[in-house]
Amino acid sequence: MFVLDDLLFRPFVGIVDALHSIALDELYDVEALEDELKENQLLYELGERPEEEYRRRKEELEAELETARDAHEQLSSGRVEVKR
Amino acid sequence: MSNRYVYGIVDSDTVEFETDAVAGADRVYTISHRRLGAVVSDIDTTDPEETDEDAQIHDEVLREIMDYDGGTTIVPMQFGMAFEGDRELKNVLRGARPAFRRAMNDIEGRVELGLKLVREEDADIDREALEEEVAERLDPIAAQSVANDLFSDRLVLNRSYLVDEAERETFDEAVAAFEDDHDELMVQYTGPFAPYSFVDVKIGAKQ
Repeated sequence: MFVLDDLLFRPFVGIVDALHSIALDELYDVEALEDELKENQLLYELGERPEEEYRRRKEELEAELETARDAHEQLSSGRVEVKR
Repeated sequence: MSNRYVYGIVDSDTVEFETDAVAGADRVYTISHRRLGAVVSDIDTTDPEETDEDAQIHDEVLREIMDYDGGTTIVPMQFGMAFEGDRELKNVLRGARPAFRRAMNDIEGRVELGLKLVREEDADIDREALEEEVAERLDPIAAQSVANDLFSDRLVLNRSYLVDEAERETFDEAVAAFEDDHDELMVQYTGPFAPYSFVDVKIGAKQ
C-alpha cells in the first residue's frame, strides 16, 4: 500500500508544488522588477523623468524587489509551507 | 583586512596608488605571479556586498588603473571577486594564466563604449532597420561589438563596442552624426569603460 500511495501521490504533489512556485514567480517577479529599476534609471538619466518621480519610483521598486527576493528565499529554504 | 578584493589583472607588478577603494580601503596595489598581476585592495570578507556606492568605486578604480602610468591594459573583473589571501589569489593567476593572456591581447589599447537608443514615447520604430543602420555606421569602426539586454520596451538598441584608442574620435563623430539624423530617438552614449563585455574570464573566489 505504501508503494501504491507513493506512486499515486508523488506526481500529484509535484504538480501542485510546481504550480505554486509558478504562481509565486509571477507574484514576485524579481526579473521584471529589476528591469523596471533599470528603465527608471535610464529615463531619469536621459532627462525624461523628473528627479522627484525617479526617486519615488526607485524607492517603491527597491522595496518591492526586497519583498520578492525574501519570498523566493523563504520558499527555497522551505520556510514557507505549501498548503494542499 | 587580511582578504584581497580584486579589480582586474594587469601585465606588470607596478600598479600602486592611493584612492577611495571598495569597502573603505584607501590604497590599491598589485599581487603578482610571474609578471601577471592582480590589482587588489584589502578587505575583511570574501563575500562583499554590492552596494551602489561600492559598485561605482569598483568602476572608478578600474578607470584610474586604465589611466595609470600613461595607460595600462587591465582585464577587468566584475564586482565581488574577493580572495582569502595572497596564496589563493596566486593559485588563480597560475591556473588561469593562458586565459588572462588571451584576454589581454584582445583588449590591449582598446576601450569599451556603450550605446543605448531609446525611442521617444510616441515614436513607432522599425527595430530591425535601425539595427542594420547602426551596424552599417558603427561596426566598421569598432574592433568588436556585442548586444546587451533590452530591459525596457522603450529601449530599441543596447550595444557595447570595443574601440581602439586611435579610433575613438572617429567613433564619437559617427555616433554624433547618427544622433543628428534621428529626432525620434534619445541617445545615451557612455564610457570609456574597462572592457567588461569583451572579457570572458571569470574567476571564482571559492576555487
